[in-house]
Amino acid sequence: MCAALAALMLVSLTACGKTEEPERQELFAMDTYMSLAAYGDGAQEALAAAAREINRLEQELSRTVATSDIYKLNDSGSAVVSEETAALLKNAMTYSAATGGLFDVTVAPLVSLWGITTDSPRVPERSEIDALLPLVGSGHIHMDGNSVTLDDGCAVDLGGIAKGYASDRVAEVLRQYAVTGAAVSLGGNVYVCGQKSDGSAWSVAVQDPKNTGAYAMTLELTDVFAVTSGGYQRYFTGPDGTVYQHILDPRTGYPAQTDLLSVTVIGQNGTLADAYSTALYVMGEQAACDFWRQSGGDFDLVLITADGRVLYTPGLADHISQKGADYDFQEVSA
Amino acid sequence: MTSKRSQPELKPKPLDALVVLAVVLLAVGAAWLSYGGKGEGALTATVKHRGQVVAQVELSSLTEEKAVSIDGAYHLTITLDKTGAAVTDSDCPGQDCVHTGRITRAGQSIVCLPEQVIVTLEGKTPSADVILG
Repeated sequence: MCAALAALMLVSLTACGKTEEPERQELFAMDTYMSLAAYGDGAQEALAAAAREINRLEQELSRTVATSDIYKLNDSGSAVVSEETAALLKNAMTYSAATGGLFDVTVAPLVSLWGITTDSPRVPERSEIDALLPLVGSGHIHMDGNSVTLDDGCAVDLGGIAKGYASDRVAEVLRQYAVTGAAVSLGGNVYVCGQKSDGSAWSVAVQDPKNTGAYAMTLELTDVFAVTSGGYQRYFTGPDGTVYQHILDPRTGYPAQTDLLSVTVIGQNGTLADAYSTALYVMGEQAACDFWRQSGGDFDLVLITADGRVLYTPGLADHISQKGADYDFQEVSA
Repeated sequence: MTSKRSQPELKPKPLDALVVLAVVLLAVGAAWLSYGGKGEGALTATVKHRGQVVAQVELSSLTEEKAVSIDGAYHLTITLDKTGAAVTDSDCPGQDCVHTGRITRAGQSIVCLPEQVIVTLEGKTPSADVILG
Protein backbone atom coordinates (compact mmCIF):
# COMPACT_ATOMS: atom_id res chain seq x y z
CA MET A 1 0.00 0.00 0.00
CA CYS A 2 2.73 2.43 1.06
CA ALA A 3 4.76 1.51 -1.99
CA ALA A 4 1.78 2.20 -4.20
CA LEU A 5 1.31 5.62 -2.54
CA ALA A 6 4.96 6.43 -3.00
CA ALA A 7 4.77 5.50 -6.67
CA LEU A 8 1.72 7.73 -7.04
CA MET A 9 3.62 10.57 -5.37
CA LEU A 10 6.50 10.07 -7.80
CA VAL A 11 4.16 10.33 -10.77
CA SER A 12 2.29 13.37 -9.42
CA LEU A 13 5.41 15.28 -8.37
CA THR A 14 7.03 14.69 -11.72
CA ALA A 15 3.90 15.92 -13.46
CA CYS A 16 3.86 19.07 -11.28
CA GLY A 17 7.36 19.96 -12.37
CA LYS A 18 6.45 19.97 -16.06
CA THR A 19 5.42 23.18 -17.73
CA GLU A 20 4.50 23.53 -21.34
CA GLU A 21 7.36 24.84 -23.47
CA PRO A 22 6.60 28.03 -25.40
CA GLU A 23 7.09 28.43 -29.13
CA ARG A 24 10.34 30.27 -29.77
CA GLN A 25 11.84 32.41 -32.50
CA GLU A 26 15.33 33.90 -32.72
CA LEU A 27 16.67 36.41 -35.19
CA PHE A 28 19.47 38.87 -35.77
CA ALA A 29 18.03 42.19 -36.87
CA MET A 30 18.44 45.90 -36.17
CA ASP A 31 22.06 45.30 -35.20
CA THR A 32 21.07 43.10 -32.28
CA TYR A 33 19.97 39.61 -31.26
CA MET A 34 16.27 39.10 -30.66
CA SER A 35 14.45 36.26 -28.96
CA LEU A 36 10.72 35.78 -28.84
CA ALA A 37 8.67 33.20 -26.92
CA ALA A 38 4.91 32.75 -26.89
CA TYR A 39 2.20 30.43 -25.62
CA GLY A 40 -1.15 29.74 -27.24
CA ASP A 41 -2.66 28.03 -30.26
CA GLY A 42 -1.56 30.87 -32.51
CA ALA A 43 1.92 31.24 -31.04
CA GLN A 44 3.88 29.85 -33.98
CA GLU A 45 2.07 31.98 -36.54
CA ALA A 46 2.27 35.02 -34.27
CA LEU A 47 6.04 34.75 -33.85
CA ALA A 48 6.59 34.30 -37.58
CA ALA A 49 4.48 37.40 -38.21
CA ALA A 50 6.39 39.31 -35.53
CA ALA A 51 9.72 38.39 -37.16
CA ARG A 52 8.44 39.59 -40.53
CA GLU A 53 7.36 42.87 -38.96
CA ILE A 54 10.79 43.37 -37.38
CA ASN A 55 12.54 42.72 -40.68
CA ARG A 56 10.17 45.13 -42.42
CA LEU A 57 10.96 47.84 -39.89
CA GLU A 58 14.69 47.32 -40.29
CA GLN A 59 14.36 47.90 -44.02
CA GLU A 60 12.50 51.13 -43.35
CA LEU A 61 14.36 52.60 -40.38
CA SER A 62 17.97 51.43 -40.63
CA ARG A 63 20.61 54.05 -41.17
CA THR A 64 22.75 51.64 -43.19
CA VAL A 65 20.21 49.97 -45.49
CA ALA A 66 20.53 51.92 -48.74
CA THR A 67 16.83 51.72 -49.55
CA SER A 68 15.56 52.84 -46.15
CA ASP A 69 13.77 56.11 -45.48
CA ILE A 70 16.47 57.13 -43.02
CA TYR A 71 19.38 56.32 -45.34
CA LYS A 72 17.78 58.36 -48.13
CA LEU A 73 17.08 61.24 -45.76
CA ASN A 74 20.66 61.33 -44.47
CA ASP A 75 22.11 60.83 -47.92
CA SER A 76 20.32 63.65 -49.69
CA GLY A 77 19.32 65.87 -46.78
CA SER A 78 15.64 65.61 -47.60
CA ALA A 79 13.16 62.87 -48.39
CA VAL A 80 9.51 62.04 -48.52
CA VAL A 81 9.27 59.26 -45.97
CA SER A 82 6.51 56.84 -45.07
CA GLU A 83 3.79 57.93 -42.70
CA GLU A 84 5.23 55.52 -40.17
CA THR A 85 8.77 56.95 -40.37
CA ALA A 86 7.39 60.48 -40.17
CA ALA A 87 5.38 59.60 -37.06
CA LEU A 88 8.42 58.03 -35.44
CA LEU A 89 10.57 61.07 -36.21
CA LYS A 90 7.89 63.29 -34.66
CA ASN A 91 7.89 61.08 -31.56
CA ALA A 92 11.68 61.32 -31.41
CA MET A 93 11.44 65.11 -31.52
CA THR A 94 8.83 65.06 -28.74
CA TYR A 95 11.07 62.91 -26.53
CA SER A 96 14.02 65.16 -27.31
CA ALA A 97 12.04 68.20 -26.17
CA ALA A 98 10.82 66.39 -23.04
CA THR A 99 14.34 65.36 -22.03
CA GLY A 100 16.03 68.67 -22.76
CA GLY A 101 17.79 67.14 -25.75
CA LEU A 102 19.43 64.32 -23.76
CA PHE A 103 17.75 61.88 -26.11
CA ASP A 104 18.30 63.15 -29.61
CA VAL A 105 18.36 61.29 -32.92
CA THR A 106 20.48 64.05 -34.49
CA VAL A 107 23.47 62.81 -32.51
CA ALA A 108 24.21 60.66 -35.60
CA PRO A 109 27.27 62.64 -36.86
CA LEU A 110 28.92 62.24 -33.45
CA VAL A 111 28.11 58.51 -33.35
CA SER A 112 29.85 58.20 -36.73
CA LEU A 113 32.81 60.26 -35.55
CA TRP A 114 33.42 58.01 -32.55
CA GLY A 115 32.72 54.88 -34.59
CA ILE A 116 31.78 53.13 -31.38
CA THR A 117 29.75 50.37 -32.99
CA THR A 118 32.02 50.01 -35.99
CA ASP A 119 35.14 47.96 -36.65
CA SER A 120 37.35 50.89 -35.75
CA PRO A 121 36.18 52.98 -32.79
CA ARG A 122 38.48 55.86 -31.95
CA VAL A 123 38.81 58.84 -29.64
CA PRO A 124 38.30 61.96 -31.75
CA GLU A 125 40.14 65.23 -31.26
CA ARG A 126 38.30 67.88 -29.25
CA SER A 127 38.24 70.08 -32.34
CA GLU A 128 36.47 67.36 -34.35
CA ILE A 129 33.77 67.06 -31.69
CA ASP A 130 33.37 70.82 -31.42
CA ALA A 131 32.90 71.02 -35.17
CA LEU A 132 30.00 68.57 -35.07
CA LEU A 133 28.24 69.65 -31.86
CA PRO A 134 26.35 72.50 -33.61
CA LEU A 135 24.73 69.86 -35.85
CA VAL A 136 23.06 68.18 -32.86
CA GLY A 137 19.54 69.20 -31.92
CA SER A 138 16.06 68.31 -33.10
CA GLY A 139 15.63 71.88 -34.34
CA HIS A 140 17.64 70.76 -37.34
CA ILE A 141 14.79 68.48 -38.46
CA HIS A 142 12.08 70.17 -40.48
CA MET A 143 8.88 68.31 -41.25
CA ASP A 144 5.99 69.13 -43.50
CA GLY A 145 3.71 66.14 -43.44
CA ASN A 146 5.81 63.22 -44.68
CA SER A 147 8.37 65.51 -46.25
CA VAL A 148 11.47 65.80 -44.07
CA THR A 149 14.45 68.12 -44.50
CA LEU A 150 17.64 68.23 -42.46
CA ASP A 151 19.89 71.25 -42.07
CA ASP A 152 23.22 71.01 -43.89
CA GLY A 153 25.58 68.43 -42.47
CA CYS A 154 22.96 66.96 -40.11
CA ALA A 155 21.91 63.33 -39.96
CA VAL A 156 19.55 61.21 -37.89
CA ASP A 157 20.03 57.80 -36.31
CA LEU A 158 16.96 56.05 -34.92
CA GLY A 159 19.10 53.44 -33.14
CA GLY A 160 17.99 54.73 -29.75
CA ILE A 161 14.31 54.38 -30.49
CA ALA A 162 13.73 51.93 -33.36
CA LYS A 163 13.92 48.76 -31.26
CA GLY A 164 11.48 50.25 -28.77
CA TYR A 165 9.15 51.08 -31.63
CA ALA A 166 9.60 47.55 -32.98
CA SER A 167 8.54 46.18 -29.58
CA ASP A 168 5.36 48.28 -29.80
CA ARG A 169 4.67 46.87 -33.24
CA VAL A 170 5.41 43.29 -32.12
CA ALA A 171 2.92 43.74 -29.28
CA GLU A 172 0.34 44.84 -31.82
CA VAL A 173 1.07 41.84 -34.04
CA LEU A 174 0.81 39.39 -31.13
CA ARG A 175 -2.60 40.79 -30.23
CA GLN A 176 -3.87 39.69 -33.64
CA TYR A 177 -3.23 36.01 -32.89
CA ALA A 178 -4.38 33.45 -30.35
CA VAL A 179 -1.52 34.08 -27.94
CA THR A 180 -2.07 33.58 -24.21
CA GLY A 181 1.31 34.87 -23.13
CA ALA A 182 4.54 36.12 -24.67
CA ALA A 183 7.98 37.37 -23.68
CA VAL A 184 9.94 39.25 -26.29
CA SER A 185 13.44 40.66 -26.04
CA LEU A 186 14.60 42.77 -28.95
CA GLY A 187 18.19 43.30 -27.88
CA GLY A 188 17.14 44.19 -24.36
CA ASN A 189 13.94 45.97 -25.36
CA VAL A 190 11.51 43.70 -23.56
CA TYR A 191 7.77 43.21 -23.88
CA VAL A 192 5.87 40.70 -21.76
CA CYS A 193 2.16 39.98 -21.94
CA GLY A 194 -0.37 37.47 -20.67
CA GLN A 195 0.78 34.54 -18.61
CA LYS A 196 3.08 31.57 -18.74
CA SER A 197 1.53 28.11 -19.15
CA ASP A 198 1.33 27.70 -15.37
CA GLY A 199 -0.65 30.95 -15.04
CA SER A 200 2.19 32.95 -13.52
CA ALA A 201 3.60 36.32 -14.60
CA TRP A 202 6.97 36.61 -16.33
CA SER A 203 10.17 36.79 -14.30
CA VAL A 204 12.11 39.75 -15.66
CA ALA A 205 15.62 40.07 -14.26
CA VAL A 206 17.65 43.27 -14.29
CA GLN A 207 21.28 42.40 -15.02
CA ASP A 208 23.79 43.25 -12.31
CA PRO A 209 26.10 45.70 -14.13
CA LYS A 210 29.03 44.69 -11.93
CA ASN A 211 28.63 40.93 -12.18
CA THR A 212 27.40 39.19 -15.30
CA GLY A 213 26.66 36.04 -13.30
CA ALA A 214 24.11 37.81 -11.12
CA TYR A 215 20.97 39.89 -11.25
CA ALA A 216 20.47 43.15 -9.41
CA MET A 217 16.80 42.31 -9.00
CA THR A 218 13.99 40.22 -10.44
CA LEU A 219 10.49 41.51 -11.11
CA GLU A 220 7.30 39.59 -11.84
CA LEU A 221 5.69 41.49 -14.70
CA THR A 222 3.09 41.24 -17.41
CA ASP A 223 1.56 43.52 -20.05
CA VAL A 224 4.42 46.02 -19.94
CA PHE A 225 7.44 47.16 -21.91
CA ALA A 226 10.82 47.40 -20.21
CA VAL A 227 14.14 48.72 -21.47
CA THR A 228 17.53 48.98 -19.80
CA SER A 229 20.32 51.35 -20.83
CA GLY A 230 23.82 51.20 -19.45
CA GLY A 231 27.37 51.54 -20.57
CA TYR A 232 28.76 48.35 -19.10
CA GLN A 233 28.62 46.06 -22.15
CA ARG A 234 29.11 48.21 -25.22
CA TYR A 235 32.33 50.11 -24.86
CA PHE A 236 35.87 50.30 -26.15
CA THR A 237 39.20 51.00 -24.53
CA GLY A 238 41.31 53.89 -25.80
CA PRO A 239 45.08 53.76 -26.36
CA ASP A 240 45.69 55.21 -22.88
CA GLY A 241 43.46 52.58 -21.23
CA THR A 242 40.46 54.87 -20.77
CA VAL A 243 37.13 53.09 -21.22
CA TYR A 244 34.65 54.84 -23.50
CA GLN A 245 31.08 53.57 -23.33
CA HIS A 246 28.67 53.84 -26.26
CA ILE A 247 26.04 56.28 -24.95
CA LEU A 248 27.00 59.81 -25.96
CA ASP A 249 25.96 62.94 -24.11
CA PRO A 250 24.50 65.17 -26.84
CA ARG A 251 25.55 68.25 -24.83
CA THR A 252 29.25 67.46 -24.80
CA GLY A 253 29.75 65.02 -27.66
CA TYR A 254 31.60 62.69 -25.28
CA PRO A 255 30.41 59.42 -23.71
CA ALA A 256 28.01 60.18 -20.86
CA GLN A 257 29.62 60.89 -17.50
CA THR A 258 26.99 59.65 -15.08
CA ASP A 259 26.61 58.38 -11.54
CA LEU A 260 24.38 55.59 -12.81
CA LEU A 261 25.39 52.13 -14.00
CA SER A 262 22.05 51.39 -15.62
CA VAL A 263 18.55 52.76 -16.01
CA THR A 264 15.48 50.60 -16.58
CA VAL A 265 12.23 52.19 -17.73
CA ILE A 266 9.05 50.12 -17.43
CA GLY A 267 5.74 51.27 -18.86
CA GLN A 268 3.03 50.96 -21.45
CA ASN A 269 4.96 52.34 -24.41
CA GLY A 270 8.07 50.62 -25.77
CA THR A 271 9.19 53.59 -27.87
CA LEU A 272 9.04 55.95 -24.91
CA ALA A 273 10.79 53.45 -22.64
CA ASP A 274 13.63 53.09 -25.17
CA ALA A 275 14.12 56.85 -25.54
CA TYR A 276 13.81 57.67 -21.85
CA SER A 277 16.12 54.89 -20.64
CA THR A 278 18.92 56.47 -22.70
CA ALA A 279 18.12 60.05 -21.66
CA LEU A 280 17.77 59.25 -17.96
CA TYR A 281 21.06 57.37 -17.98
CA VAL A 282 22.74 60.51 -19.32
CA MET A 283 20.87 62.70 -16.77
CA GLY A 284 22.18 60.89 -13.71
CA GLU A 285 20.40 59.93 -10.49
CA GLN A 286 19.02 63.21 -9.21
CA ALA A 287 17.76 64.57 -12.51
CA ALA A 288 16.32 61.16 -13.46
CA CYS A 289 14.33 60.99 -10.22
CA ASP A 290 13.09 64.56 -10.72
CA PHE A 291 12.14 63.75 -14.31
CA TRP A 292 10.13 60.75 -13.12
CA ARG A 293 8.32 62.86 -10.49
CA GLN A 294 7.43 65.49 -13.08
CA SER A 295 6.18 62.82 -15.50
CA GLY A 296 3.23 62.10 -13.25
CA GLY A 297 4.06 58.43 -12.86
CA ASP A 298 3.53 57.49 -16.51
CA PHE A 299 6.27 54.90 -16.16
CA ASP A 300 8.34 53.14 -13.52
CA LEU A 301 12.07 53.24 -13.00
CA VAL A 302 14.91 51.12 -11.69
CA LEU A 303 18.16 53.04 -11.29
CA ILE A 304 21.37 51.23 -10.36
CA THR A 305 23.87 53.70 -8.98
CA ALA A 306 27.64 53.51 -9.11
CA ASP A 307 27.76 53.58 -5.31
CA GLY A 308 25.80 50.33 -4.96
CA ARG A 309 22.15 51.33 -4.60
CA VAL A 310 19.09 50.16 -6.48
CA LEU A 311 16.42 52.86 -6.61
CA TYR A 312 12.93 51.80 -7.69
CA THR A 313 9.67 53.68 -8.03
CA PRO A 314 6.72 52.73 -5.78
CA GLY A 315 4.73 51.12 -8.60
CA LEU A 316 7.27 48.30 -8.70
CA ALA A 317 7.35 47.52 -4.97
CA ASP A 318 4.79 44.72 -5.20
CA HIS A 319 6.43 43.18 -8.26
CA ILE A 320 9.90 42.60 -6.84
CA SER A 321 10.52 38.90 -6.28
CA GLN A 322 14.26 38.96 -5.67
CA LYS A 323 16.75 41.57 -4.53
CA GLY A 324 20.46 41.32 -5.27
CA ALA A 325 22.46 40.88 -2.09
CA ASP A 326 25.17 43.31 -3.18
CA TYR A 327 22.87 46.33 -3.34
CA ASP A 328 21.10 48.65 -0.96
CA PHE A 329 17.47 48.95 -2.12
CA GLN A 330 15.64 52.25 -1.79
CA GLU A 331 12.19 53.30 -2.94
CA VAL A 332 12.11 56.61 -4.78
CA SER A 333 9.82 59.08 -3.00
CA ALA A 334 6.94 60.35 -5.11
CA MET B 1 -19.28 -1.50 34.67
CA THR B 2 -16.51 -0.35 32.42
CA SER B 3 -14.10 -2.33 30.37
CA LYS B 4 -10.62 -1.21 29.51
CA ARG B 5 -9.89 -1.49 25.78
CA SER B 6 -6.37 -2.58 25.16
CA GLN B 7 -4.22 -0.63 22.57
CA PRO B 8 -2.80 -2.69 19.70
CA GLU B 9 0.80 -3.43 20.16
CA LEU B 10 3.02 -1.39 17.73
CA LYS B 11 6.25 -3.12 17.18
CA PRO B 12 8.21 -2.26 14.00
CA LYS B 13 9.06 -5.24 11.91
CA PRO B 14 11.91 -5.55 9.39
CA LEU B 15 9.44 -5.33 6.50
CA ASP B 16 8.15 -1.94 7.79
CA ALA B 17 11.66 -0.53 7.64
CA LEU B 18 11.96 -1.66 4.03
CA VAL B 19 8.69 0.06 3.15
CA VAL B 20 9.85 3.29 4.84
CA LEU B 21 13.11 3.11 2.93
CA ALA B 22 11.22 2.59 -0.34
CA VAL B 23 9.01 5.63 0.38
CA VAL B 24 12.03 7.81 1.17
CA LEU B 25 13.92 6.68 -1.93
CA LEU B 26 10.93 7.27 -4.18
CA ALA B 27 10.32 10.71 -2.66
CA VAL B 28 13.95 11.70 -3.15
CA GLY B 29 13.83 10.38 -6.71
CA ALA B 30 10.67 12.35 -7.41
CA ALA B 31 12.14 15.53 -5.99
CA TRP B 32 15.33 15.05 -8.03
CA LEU B 33 13.38 14.50 -11.23
CA SER B 34 11.18 17.51 -10.52
CA TYR B 35 13.65 20.04 -9.27
CA GLY B 36 17.20 18.79 -9.40
CA GLY B 37 17.80 16.70 -12.47
CA LYS B 38 17.82 19.62 -14.87
CA GLY B 39 17.44 22.52 -12.49
CA GLU B 40 19.75 25.51 -12.37
CA GLY B 41 22.36 23.21 -10.87
CA ALA B 42 22.38 21.10 -14.04
CA LEU B 43 23.19 23.53 -16.80
CA THR B 44 23.48 22.77 -20.47
CA ALA B 45 25.49 25.18 -22.61
CA THR B 46 24.46 25.50 -26.25
CA VAL B 47 26.61 27.29 -28.79
CA LYS B 48 24.94 28.39 -32.02
CA HIS B 49 26.80 29.83 -34.98
CA ARG B 50 24.71 31.42 -37.71
CA GLY B 51 21.65 29.46 -36.62
CA GLN B 52 23.39 26.06 -36.37
CA VAL B 53 24.09 24.30 -33.08
CA VAL B 54 27.85 23.69 -33.04
CA ALA B 55 28.18 22.48 -29.45
CA GLN B 56 25.86 21.35 -26.70
CA VAL B 57 27.49 20.38 -23.43
CA GLU B 58 26.07 19.40 -20.07
CA LEU B 59 28.39 21.40 -17.85
CA SER B 60 28.27 19.02 -14.90
CA SER B 61 29.87 16.36 -17.10
CA LEU B 62 33.02 18.43 -17.59
CA THR B 63 36.06 17.44 -15.62
CA GLU B 64 38.18 20.24 -17.04
CA GLU B 65 37.70 23.40 -19.10
CA LYS B 66 36.48 22.83 -22.62
CA ALA B 67 37.20 25.29 -25.42
CA VAL B 68 34.83 25.67 -28.36
CA SER B 69 36.33 27.49 -31.34
CA ILE B 70 34.33 29.44 -33.88
CA ASP B 71 36.03 30.12 -37.18
CA GLY B 72 34.15 32.42 -39.48
CA ALA B 73 34.82 35.95 -40.59
CA TYR B 74 35.89 36.38 -36.97
CA HIS B 75 37.39 33.87 -34.57
CA LEU B 76 36.00 33.26 -31.11
CA THR B 77 37.05 31.00 -28.28
CA ILE B 78 34.28 30.00 -25.92
CA THR B 79 35.42 28.47 -22.66
CA LEU B 80 33.07 26.15 -20.81
CA ASP B 81 33.60 24.76 -17.35
CA LYS B 82 31.52 23.00 -14.72
CA THR B 83 29.70 26.14 -13.65
CA GLY B 84 29.51 28.52 -16.59
CA ALA B 85 30.58 29.83 -19.97
CA ALA B 86 32.46 32.83 -21.33
CA VAL B 87 33.79 34.13 -24.62
CA THR B 88 37.41 34.34 -23.57
CA ASP B 89 38.85 35.52 -26.86
CA SER B 90 37.50 37.13 -30.00
CA ASP B 91 38.85 39.23 -32.82
CA CYS B 92 35.44 40.70 -33.59
CA PRO B 93 35.00 44.47 -33.52
CA GLY B 94 33.24 45.86 -30.47
CA GLN B 95 34.16 42.89 -28.24
CA ASP B 96 30.68 42.99 -26.68
CA CYS B 97 30.74 39.20 -26.35
CA VAL B 98 33.98 39.33 -24.35
CA HIS B 99 32.72 42.27 -22.29
CA THR B 100 29.63 40.27 -21.32
CA GLY B 101 31.90 38.19 -19.12
CA ARG B 102 31.04 34.84 -17.63
CA ILE B 103 27.48 33.54 -17.46
CA THR B 104 26.51 31.00 -14.82
CA ARG B 105 22.71 30.89 -14.65
CA ALA B 106 20.00 29.23 -16.72
CA GLY B 107 18.44 31.75 -19.09
CA GLN B 108 21.59 33.83 -19.54
CA SER B 109 23.26 34.24 -22.91
CA ILE B 110 26.27 35.77 -24.63
CA VAL B 111 25.87 37.17 -28.12
CA CYS B 112 28.48 38.03 -30.75
CA LEU B 113 26.57 40.09 -33.29
CA PRO B 114 29.15 40.31 -36.09
CA GLU B 115 29.71 36.55 -36.19
CA GLN B 116 26.13 35.67 -35.13
CA VAL B 117 27.20 33.44 -32.27
CA ILE B 118 24.91 32.80 -29.33
CA VAL B 119 25.96 30.97 -26.18
CA THR B 120 23.03 30.09 -23.93
CA LEU B 121 22.73 28.31 -20.63
CA GLU B 122 19.64 26.17 -20.19
CA GLY B 123 18.22 24.39 -17.19
CA LYS B 124 14.82 23.11 -16.25
CA THR B 125 14.17 26.08 -13.98
CA PRO B 126 15.53 29.23 -15.62
CA SER B 127 16.62 31.89 -13.20
CA ALA B 128 14.49 34.37 -15.16
CA ASP B 129 12.31 34.34 -18.27
CA VAL B 130 13.80 37.51 -19.71
CA ILE B 131 16.92 39.48 -18.79
CA LEU B 132 17.19 43.25 -19.06
CA GLY B 133 20.55 44.80 -19.69
